[in-house]
Amino acid sequence: MPENNYVIETEELNLWYGENHVLRDICMKVMKNRVTALIGPSGCGKSTLIRCFNRMNDIIGNCRIKGKVFFNGKDIYNPNTDVVTIRKKIGMVFQKPNPFPKSIYENVAYGPRVHGINDRETLDRIVEKSLKAAALWDEVKDRLDISAMSLSGGQQQRLCIARALAIEPEVLLMDEPCSSLDPIATTKIEDLINDLKKKYTVVIVTHSMQQAARVSDYTGFLYLGQMIEFGPTKQIFENPQEELTEKYITGRFG
Amino acid sequence: MVEKFHAELNALKKEVLEMGDLARDMLQKSVESLKKRDIEMAGQVISKKSAIIDMDDDIEQRALTLLTLYQPMAKDMRTIACILKMITYLTRIGRYGKDIANLARELSTQPHIAKLVSIPYMCDIVCEMIEDALKAFETEDLSLVQDFSERDDTLDTLRYSIFRECLTYMMEDPKNITRCAHYMMIARYLERCGDHACKIAEKVHYMVTGERIEIK
Repeated sequence: MPENNYVIETEELNLWYGENHVLRDICMKVMKNRVTALIGPSGCGKSTLIRCFNRMNDIIGNCRIKGKVFFNGKDIYNPNTDVVTIRKKIGMVFQKPNPFPKSIYENVAYGPRVHGINDRETLDRIVEKSLKAAALWDEVKDRLDISAMSLSGGQQQRLCIARALAIEPEVLLMDEPCSSLDPIATTKIEDLINDLKKKYTVVIVTHSMQQAARVSDYTGFLYLGQMIEFGPTKQIFENPQEELTEKYITGRFG
Repeated sequence: MVEKFHAELNALKKEVLEMGDLARDMLQKSVESLKKRDIEMAGQVISKKSAIIDMDDDIEQRALTLLTLYQPMAKDMRTIACILKMITYLTRIGRYGKDIANLARELSTQPHIAKLVSIPYMCDIVCEMIEDALKAFETEDLSLVQDFSERDDTLDTLRYSIFRECLTYMMEDPKNITRCAHYMMIARYLERCGDHACKIAEKVHYMVTGERIEIK
């Protein structure tokens, strides 16, 4: 039985897209209230792996999964698992900000409404709390009814984070959340990630090793679908134990 | 970009080795000038002080530029961290060479109180340690620095025996006090240089393995 300190755990997780064996025997543990970063070259399976954590791969037709993914000790690939509940508890933020073509307010209120909250006062409270948690409130509090599409890229991404937080998840999965943002917006998101871990558990996929080093407590290095090394971030970047990790992070690859 | 970084890092390592040779050379020549009472040689050592300081500045600047531009990780980062510490130790070794050369000039006016044996022997041990530490930095062969603790103990013993010997000469004749105080200072400087060689070996060990050790 997995320990309480671990929110997500995988056991010999394998995944195929058709004939393509994308993830191979992944065993990893995501510590509660910590930021875990996944790094590795393009196509190594980072995004596929975090998409396993809230069953986002279910919507891909030829995807086959073997092995186990535990969320708070329960196997989320068990046939009795309610996928909607899992995705409520494990939110996700994507590479490109994808706000709905609605107002700022409606973007954040959307999730709670779907989950049956319609009371205006409650919604107001959730919207304010979520926007504050996403460090966006001060910038938009006077214009909550304007279209979310009119916000800058960085603001849109923080809105997406607020939207994910509105349904009070336990875990926030972030798939390269800063790759389409400028350095200032990136800094804001990174500061935000640091704040978020007080309340949430964050798993972030990033192409920037510097970003992984800055924001995460634990780092996993994936290569060709295998978890080559997983450990405290300081160790991975200062003194990696695996030669492959050393080669990747010092750019001596291939 | 990665190739450019590694080319620059390799060039930097070469300059550190050159700086190490210069520091060791200054120390070696200073003791030689003392032994031979050669003022000219002592002067040459003293004139190299600015060269070693310039190398220190230049290497530090280039190392910081590499850190800023490339934000290296793992061994690359450890190599730069090692370099930044090494150049400080090497500068101090060079400066002790200059200090010994200054004392050699003062001592050259009269013959030595006794035949100089222990001081040149200490210098040989220190120079070998510096050489081995530099070679370990170049080749990453840590076996070269494995016995540094024992070698450092020998230096401590030699310094103490020089101290006792000087005390005897000073008690025999108070006129010897100034000269003996200089010999004692020189022994102390050489012992410190041995400590710096040990510190370099510690940093090289960190660079190669990622583990911090202390040579006692």
